[in-house]
Amino acid sequence: MKPRLIIGLVLLVGFTSLLMLNFSSSIDTYVNFEQAESAFGRRYVIGTWEKDLPIGFDMTSKSFYFHMKDEAGNVRKVMYNKAKPANFEDADQLVVKGKLQGNVFYSDDMLVKCPSKYNDPKVIS
Amino acid sequence: MIGIIGHYAIVLAFLAAVLSTLFYWRISNSMNSRLEPVAKWVFFAKAWFTLIASGILVHLLFEHAFQYYYVFNYTSKDLQPKYIWASFYSGQEGSLLLWILFSSLVGWGLIRWTEPMYKAPVMTFMSLTQVFLLSMLLGVELFGNTYGASPFRLLREHLPNAPIFMSNPDFIPADGSGLNDLLRSPWIIIHPPVLFLGFAMMTVPFAFALAAVWKKQFREWVRPALPWALAANVFLLTAIFLGGYWAYVTLSFGGYWAWDPVENASLVPWLVGTAGIHTMLIQRKRDTGVVSSIVFAVLAYVLIVYSTFLTRSGVLGESSVHSFVDLGLYNQLLAFMLTMLGLGFGMILWRLREMPSVTKDAPILSRDFMAFTASMTLFLLGFVLIVGTSSPILGRLFVDNPTPPNIEFYNNWSLPFGVVIATLTVIGQWVWWRRTETFDDLATRILLPLIMASVVTVAAVIFFEIRNISYMVLLLSANFGLFGNGQILIGLLRKNPKLIGGSISHLGFAALMIGFLGAGFDKALLDQETSEYNLAVAAGQVTGSDGFPVMQTIEMVELRQNEPKLLGERYMVTYIEAKITNRNRPGEQEYTLKIEDIKAGSQPFFMTPTAYPMIANANAGNITWTVDPEVRTGLFSDIYVYVAGSSHVERERERMSGVQEIALSDSTKIKTFLLKKDQSLQVDGYEVTFKNFEMVDLSTFAPNTTIAVRAILDVRTLATDSTITIKPLFSIIRQDSLALTQSVPMLFGNAGHEVQFVNVNPSSGEIELIIGGANRIIEPEWVLLTIERKPLVAVVWLGTFLLMLGFSIAIFRRWRETKGYEKNEATT
Repeated sequence: MKPRLIIGLVLLVGFTSLLMLNFSSSIDTYVNFEQAESAFGRRYVIGTWEKDLPIGFDMTSKSFYFHMKDEAGNVRKVMYNKAKPANFEDADQLVVKGKLQGNVFYSDDMLVKCPSKYNDPKVIS
Repeated sequence: MIGIIGHYAIVLAFLAAVLSTLFYWRISNSMNSRLEPVAKWVFFAKAWFTLIASGILVHLLFEHAFQYYYVFNYTSKDLQPKYIWASFYSGQEGSLLLWILFSSLVGWGLIRWTEPMYKAPVMTFMSLTQVFLLSMLLGVELFGNTYGASPFRLLREHLPNAPIFMSNPDFIPADGSGLNDLLRSPWIIIHPPVLFLGFAMMTVPFAFALAAVWKKQFREWVRPALPWALAANVFLLTAIFLGGYWAYVTLSFGGYWAWDPVENASLVPWLVGTAGIHTMLIQRKRDTGVVSSIVFAVLAYVLIVYSTFLTRSGVLGESSVHSFVDLGLYNQLLAFMLTMLGLGFGMILWRLREMPSVTKDAPILSRDFMAFTASMTLFLLGFVLIVGTSSPILGRLFVDNPTPPNIEFYNNWSLPFGVVIATLTVIGQWVWWRRTETFDDLATRILLPLIMASVVTVAAVIFFEIRNISYMVLLLSANFGLFGNGQILIGLLRKNPKLIGGSISHLGFAALMIGFLGAGFDKALLDQETSEYNLAVAAGQVTGSDGFPVMQTIEMVELRQNEPKLLGERYMVTYIEAKITNRNRPGEQEYTLKIEDIKAGSQPFFMTPTAYPMIANANAGNITWTVDPEVRTGLFSDIYVYVAGSSHVERERERMSGVQEIALSDSTKIKTFLLKKDQSLQVDGYEVTFKNFEMVDLSTFAPNTTIAVRAILDVRTLATDSTITIKPLFSIIRQDSLALTQSVPMLFGNAGHEVQFVNVNPSSGEIELIIGGANRIIEPEWVLLTIERKPLVAVVWLGTFLLMLGFSIAIFRRWRETKGYEKNEATT
């Protein structure tokens, strides 16, 4: 074995370990609203929009609000401090990132998941 | 009917690809060149069948044959022809078809230009990739499993259980569900084709590398493969750029790059491909880099297939905005990826002992070592990004149900790489061109650019108040990259301008780093009140109505019409007006904003962001509005703005979803007034004054009109003290013995008021007016803006263009070299 190869391998192993260590602390697991309540920091919650509950824009806090049902069936109001994402109504799944306080989930990051890239073949009129 | 032909065309193309693989394999094994014309024609048959299938799909799209799932799902009757073309590759099936079409074109090029020694083995691997790609479009059922998703499947085959098909199997929808409004942008016409052309070209270095391993010709493959590798990189880079630019200027993603898995999935093969190009450059004459060139060429293509797997298998489901939903191709995609991976690395391991290896270490300041370091650095960066992107898979090692890593993961890892790469470009280029072999020599050469970079960096740190140490380091290394590569470029221009490709690319990389640094200084432009509120929120001093401290800052600005606000302590912004222009699509609204840069004291400028209803996506009574950002590009910073909401949008939405208030039939909202000349009435913040009558020329009316007269009314809006004049018409039409009065309602004001001139009393001179829409609360017009200042975006584009230019110059040079070499071979 050449010394340079050994140094390279050691560096590579060190690099990979550091990377995986940092990677594992950068990811999180998806939670439901109840788990988010006791959690520290910003968490991800997956759910669906509850169409029958109030939705709108709050002019004082400049937030878009709606109600979301998580995968465990908990429903919470979500305040999102950006404009309503395009395709929000078409989404069959939402992922919100934020913090739960009281009964309101405060989010600053939302991912709107639409069926079949963007289009929904379910609606045939 | 015609769809069945398309379906069979794909099946035949698939069979041709299988045959072509077998024929070329046979030729490579036996070197039996008599079979070669047959193999060639079988490959061409594959190309023709693919072309026929594509032609049929295009035909069906233009014919609006909505009984086909693909046509129904991606088009509608109102779609403009240019977007019907684009809808060809808007879905998974069509985009795969496009990829295969481009591969056929690349295959034709390979058959034409590849030397006999490599042709058959290269074409074996090329054809093999086509077998996998075409299998995904088969839509054939075998042993109870369906293989592939045919673009020609009928809607009723796609949704066999839909009630409509139960009752009426021949049902054909009257209209399609239409291309998503967000995709109706000129960028969709160009971005996917460029990307798939890049994908198709990436197959070439892969096929060459494996051919080289198979035939034990470990070195020579690099010469013919290099121009293809460079071209693949240019196309991939262009596609990445187009995607970023699209996201920036027409989608409200807020920037050109978001570390989205789909974005990363195209960046990583580019990085690894570039790593491969660096080792290919050194291995042509020596033994160094032989193994790594082969490994990188294989890896770059495997990563293309891997990224295809990630984006199309549904794995990324929760972590990406624009990944596809699984079409049932998961297993086929996985098989494709594992085969390419297994075949590629299996073959490398099989021949590893026979590959030439280096006997002694290259000195650090040598071309070999520098190029190898460059490759490794690029590869490691790609490795970091692919680890992050694979979080749905890799993350399971650590947690169940993993989320994507946070943005800091990507930023924190790529920044030091930027520093290292920018610094290495200069040292590497000196070693490459000037054979700088001692550290003393190197130190004297880089002294000047280092001093210049330091001066500029210190000045920038002071002037722009950069407080972050890592930003300072990145800026210093990027400046060093600019000055160092600039100096080398000037030297090369004097000597041999054909060789400048590399130094222009490296210059571009340094510029790119400076541009990326700008993103660290993006700033939402807010009014002073909001900024202070946000500071208080950050300090935890604001308590909400629920008793908890408020956590969310406000990122938007509300502007009232004609009320200027100072934003970001620098820009005086006034909302002038909104109007419905219908310019690019029905219902499109344009907002006019006047912006004055107080600090620069320059002329005010106007920006006109738009908003439009997403009619194609709308379900009954439910219309989503989207926004089209407007960007004002400047040399040093861009102003980026979009309308997040407005009183106009609210009104239009109400009107479109049918909750329109019917003013005149709703008695509570109607008021009748009698007015004499110069008398006024007040209603809902308007003052209406009857000025006079205006006689009209009866000859322009229907012949039985006996009376026609207009009332001249001045309508003053009390809030703004602005007056307009309207002239509603009153007329009497005689029909037999009946006198019918006619009065057309006229709109005034911004809140949808209507005035109707319904009678006139000839003796008193009084007129009778009905004013509808009364009692409404008059609200001032408002608009909500997200407005940001984004420094140095133009520098990012400049850096990208330099990279493209540098690579293109290199393609030209290497192509000529290859051709020249072949000519020499032929003559000697």
